[in-house]
Amino acid sequence: MKLRSVELVNIRRFAGQRATLDAIGDGIAVLSEPNEFGKSTFLDAIQALFFAPHRQNSDFTRSLRPHSGGAPEAAVEIELPDGRFRLHKRWLSRPTARITDPAGRMIAQDDEAEAWIDRLLGAGLAGPSGLLWVRQGTTMLDPEGTGPRERAERERGQAVRRDLLSSVAGEIEAMTGGRRMDVLRDRVEAELARLATATLKPKATGDWSRAVDEAAALARAEAELAPRAKALSAHLVRRAEVQRALARLSDPGVQAEHRDRLASAQAAFEAARAHADRVRQAEAADRLADLTEQAARQDAERLETLAHTAGRAEQAARDAAAAAAAARERADRLAEHDRAATEAEETADRAAASLRARLSDAQRAQLAQAARGQAEELGRRLDRAQALATRVAEDRARRMALAVSPRTLATAEAAQAEVLRLTALAGAQAVTVQARPSQGSQATMGGVPLGDAPLPVTEPVVIDLPGFGALRVDPGPDRTDATAAARKAAGDALARALAACGAGTLPEARDRLSEAAEIDRQVAQNEARLAEVAPAGLEALRLAAARARSEAAEPAEPAEDPAALEAPLAVAEAAAVEARAKARADHALAVEAAKDAASAAGEHLSRQRAAQEARVAAGDASELDTRMAAASAGLPALAVARAQARKVLDDLRATAPDLATAEAALARARTAAEAAQAEDRRLREELAGLNAAIGALADEGIEERLADITGQRAAAEARAARYEAEVRALVRLRSALEEARTRARDTYLAPVLAELQPLISILHPDAALHIDDQTLLPAVLTRAGQAEALDILSGGTREQIAILTRLAFARLFARTGRPVPVILDDALVHSDDDRIEAMFTALHRVARDQQVLVFTCRQRAFAALGGERLRVRVEPA
Amino acid sequence: MTLRFLHTSDLHLGRAFGAFPEGIRNRLREARHGTIARLAAAARAGGARVVLLAGDTFDAETPAPDTLRQALRAMADEADTDWLLIPGNHDSLAATELWRRVAADGPANLRVLATPEPLDLGGSWLLPAPCTARRPGRDLTEAMDAPTPAGAPRIGLGHGAVTDFAAEGGTPGIIPPDRASRSGLDYLALGDWHGQIQVGPATWYSGTPEADSFKHVSPAGALLVGLAGPGAVAQVVPVATGRLVWQACRIDLLPDDDAVARLRAVLPAERPRDHLVRLSATGRTTLAERAALAAAIVRAAPDFGWFEADLSALSVAAMPDDLDLIDRGGALRQAAERLMAEAQDAAQPADARDTAAAALSILFALAQEDPA
Repeated sequence: MKLRSVELVNIRRFAGQRATLDAIGDGIAVLSEPNEFGKSTFLDAIQALFFAPHRQNSDFTRSLRPHSGGAPEAAVEIELPDGRFRLHKRWLSRPTARITDPAGRMIAQDDEAEAWIDRLLGAGLAGPSGLLWVRQGTTMLDPEGTGPRERAERERGQAVRRDLLSSVAGEIEAMTGGRRMDVLRDRVEAELARLATATLKPKATGDWSRAVDEAAALARAEAELAPRAKALSAHLVRRAEVQRALARLSDPGVQAEHRDRLASAQAAFEAARAHADRVRQAEAADRLADLTEQAARQDAERLETLAHTAGRAEQAARDAAAAAAAARERADRLAEHDRAATEAEETADRAAASLRARLSDAQRAQLAQAARGQAEELGRRLDRAQALATRVAEDRARRMALAVSPRTLATAEAAQAEVLRLTALAGAQAVTVQARPSQGSQATMGGVPLGDAPLPVTEPVVIDLPGFGALRVDPGPDRTDATAAARKAAGDALARALAACGAGTLPEARDRLSEAAEIDRQVAQNEARLAEVAPAGLEALRLAAARARSEAAEPAEPAEDPAALEAPLAVAEAAAVEARAKARADHALAVEAAKDAASAAGEHLSRQRAAQEARVAAGDASELDTRMAAASAGLPALAVARAQARKVLDDLRATAPDLATAEAALARARTAAEAAQAEDRRLREELAGLNAAIGALADEGIEERLADITGQRAAAEARAARYEAEVRALVRLRSALEEARTRARDTYLAPVLAELQPLISILHPDAALHIDDQTLLPAVLTRAGQAEALDILSGGTREQIAILTRLAFARLFARTGRPVPVILDDALVHSDDDRIEAMFTALHRVARDQQVLVFTCRQRAFAALGGERLRVRVEPA
Repeated sequence: MTLRFLHTSDLHLGRAFGAFPEGIRNRLREARHGTIARLAAAARAGGARVVLLAGDTFDAETPAPDTLRQALRAMADEADTDWLLIPGNHDSLAATELWRRVAADGPANLRVLATPEPLDLGGSWLLPAPCTARRPGRDLTEAMDAPTPAGAPRIGLGHGAVTDFAAEGGTPGIIPPDRASRSGLDYLALGDWHGQIQVGPATWYSGTPEADSFKHVSPAGALLVGLAGPGAVAQVVPVATGRLVWQACRIDLLPDDDAVARLRAVLPAERPRDHLVRLSATGRTTLAERAALAAAIVRAAPDFGWFEADLSALSVAAMPDDLDLIDRGGALRQAAERLMAEAQDAAQPADARDTAAAALSILFALAQEDPA
């Protein structure tokens, strides 16, 4: 979009006039006019045309109206790719908006015209179009001096710069919501804080919390009241039941029925009891008749029994007498047998004893005879044995005297061998002397001639050498001491061994051992003989000989032959045994028979006494018969009486009411009556209790209170729910605002900086501008590696950065195919000559594809800017 | 001679109204108490000496002592009026303590008809059918078949729902709608339904004399009944007795509607303090209209005894102008558009849509406090 002409009608100082700025070309166009010319009015009119709907009646639109009144109007011609369009608006009075196409046809009016403008500036005015205007007010330079006037002017200048920067900020805000976003977010936070904590819980002092607390408190109160109200209701129901029950109990008919039932039960019981008495009496009569009959029968039976018993007793007595006599006769007979058997036993015993004596004598005589021969034999054997024993003892003494044994001989032989070994050793070590006598001479040593064999000398010796004298040979102490000591020890050992053998030499010892062996053989031989003669030993043989000699001292000749006596003795002893057995049997029979006889006698006496007693008991027989007859005669009458009594009893029993049932019925009737009375009392007590409880609860108006509290609780809960919903909505709004701002910031910063950086480089080579993420304002300028906060920069630098930021936005729009004019109204008031030249360069850089309108009152300073010069035509409207 | 009586029911004396703020709650209770005097005045004005109370005179089985005593005292104060009363389902005969106290403390001009026995009203016969329990489960008005002297007008007095009265959506009642003709009644005075309605030629519900809900449209009142004689058609004249008016208002909006004007049109103009208003808005409107409506409600609400507005069924139409009033561009506009889309996104759960709509409304309202 490019602006080609601007037309103002009846706006501010152009009251009743038409002011036209036309023939605006591409690139930079400069309107350089003095103060109070109305340059800012053009700016405001253009802004109103694009951004103030024609029906808007605001401070801003009203500010367009001149003091003389009337409706302000403005129109612009813009060039679009498809031609020139005219936009016209009238505000406040008969407001209208119109869009005219290149052919002069009105294509949109009023709201449609507003929508057309919106579409022109981007979908929903997506871009911060207002950024492209820089308002008038930057004409003053910061004055020097400290006076009030200078200070006031300086403050105004600072305000202007702030305005310049804030206008930039405002445009940024237009993108991100900026200050309004902050305000709205603060309001949302404040609304949230009024209700909820940071964690979105009900805030202690907030309405939500109050509603929640109130609902909870009411719920508690309701929970406390509800059971009591329920109890009251239950009490009322129960009381109605109790009252109905009492009414039933108090009903006269019911009570009369109770009384009748009781009386009836009582009468029935009395009747049953009387009947029962009659039954008992009949039972007694029946029992008496029965007993009487039984007694009569028993009497008759007893009399009969007595007679029978007496007869039987007498018969038994007689039988017992006979039995006793028979037993006595048998006992006597058996006693005789016993005596005979005893005598026979004694005779047999005597015969057997005689034979045994005779046999004994015969046997002794026979034994004595045999003992004499044996005594002689044993005497001979004893003599021989004693001789052998004597010989053995002697040989043993001799053997003992020899002292040698194979072991001692072996020891001596070993000692001898050691002596010989040591001697040989001494000889080998000794000086040897070998005599070789001349013919006829003989050397001797100790008188013994020396052979021609070498003679070892182990100790000093003297050798006689005939014709020479004596030669003493001494082997010397050093060579012989050890061997000599050993040989001496061996010699001593040999001497001890030989002494143990009882010999002086070893051959002697060997001889002694041979002799000892011979003696041992003889001893053994004699001992064998002795063992044969006296196998049990000499002493036993000696005792046997003595016993034999004693036995042999009996009569010399036997009287009878013992063998001949043995058979008669056996017969006699068998007869004696048989006689003894028979005697014992007979004796036992006799004793038993005697006992039987005594018992039979006793039984007889007992039966006799019993018979006498029975007879006494029965009395006289005839009298007894009379009594028995009388007794039997009375029995039939008694039986009839008993039958009659039984019939009476049976009849009564058959018609008897059940006393237990009658008694139970009476008890039940009494119990029912008592229970009714007790129930009446209990119900009256319960009723009193219920009345008290109901009265107390009813006095509290508990149902009304409960209904009241239930309603209040529901209302409080509903209120709490509304607050909760409001909190949810506020939270959602907060997040929506935050998301939108974050999104806007993200989409805004990157492209703006990309456009801004080349422009900053024109002014400050190698400088970079940083925009604060939070404030979205240019915040830091980095030059030569030095970062400087924007607010410490000079007013001129800040002003230039603000304008460059706008230009960057303009380029951003142009690059997105939506070019919009940049309008600078008395900007760059603080820029020095060098900087303003650089700014002009920047403007020209932007103006290559961007229309830039510069309104200025600084005609000289801006002469160097170049560009197209514009003129305003003013004429009556 | 024409018998005149006032037919009323459902006074519900002692009703708590706990869900209402304290101020209006007390007024509601007081208004109910005041019905006794107003009914007596209406009877007096209509030339009636008898007031038939067709049940539910008391709201609870055990009303608070002051509720009961003040009601009895108020009846006693109307000495020229006879109060004939049957227990209803709220104050049935099971409420023994209530009726014991009434019997003990009640004035001479009050008579509780606790048994279904015909009562001579001076030539006319009243056939009462007192409620035996909260849910008796049988047609108590069968007792109205009881014989009365021939030629005497017969008036039934009962409490409960008529068979086809609540047939649609409710539990059917058990009083046959033709009870009056069945039992030869010249007039059947019924209670239980709080709205005034004629069920048959001679069968009426008087409704409550003091409204207690937004359910019924008809003004609260009683029925002045005149019976010229047996067989004569009863002359029934509704008499307004209500003190406080319960008014449910509904406005259905389209985006072009002026919501505030529509609100003004539906709100009662006179005696707003004596009105309880429940406003429900439905349809669609713009954010601006919705905000304007909400602001108008906030302004109007204090005029009324009680005011409740439910705008939850009023959806917001997507109008760019509305969003322009939040911002014509930038992040605020984006946030508003996001919330608008979310509020209208059928794929979102209803809760989320409602929350987004509420958030958008708040954003709109806050944005208007700080316009662009």
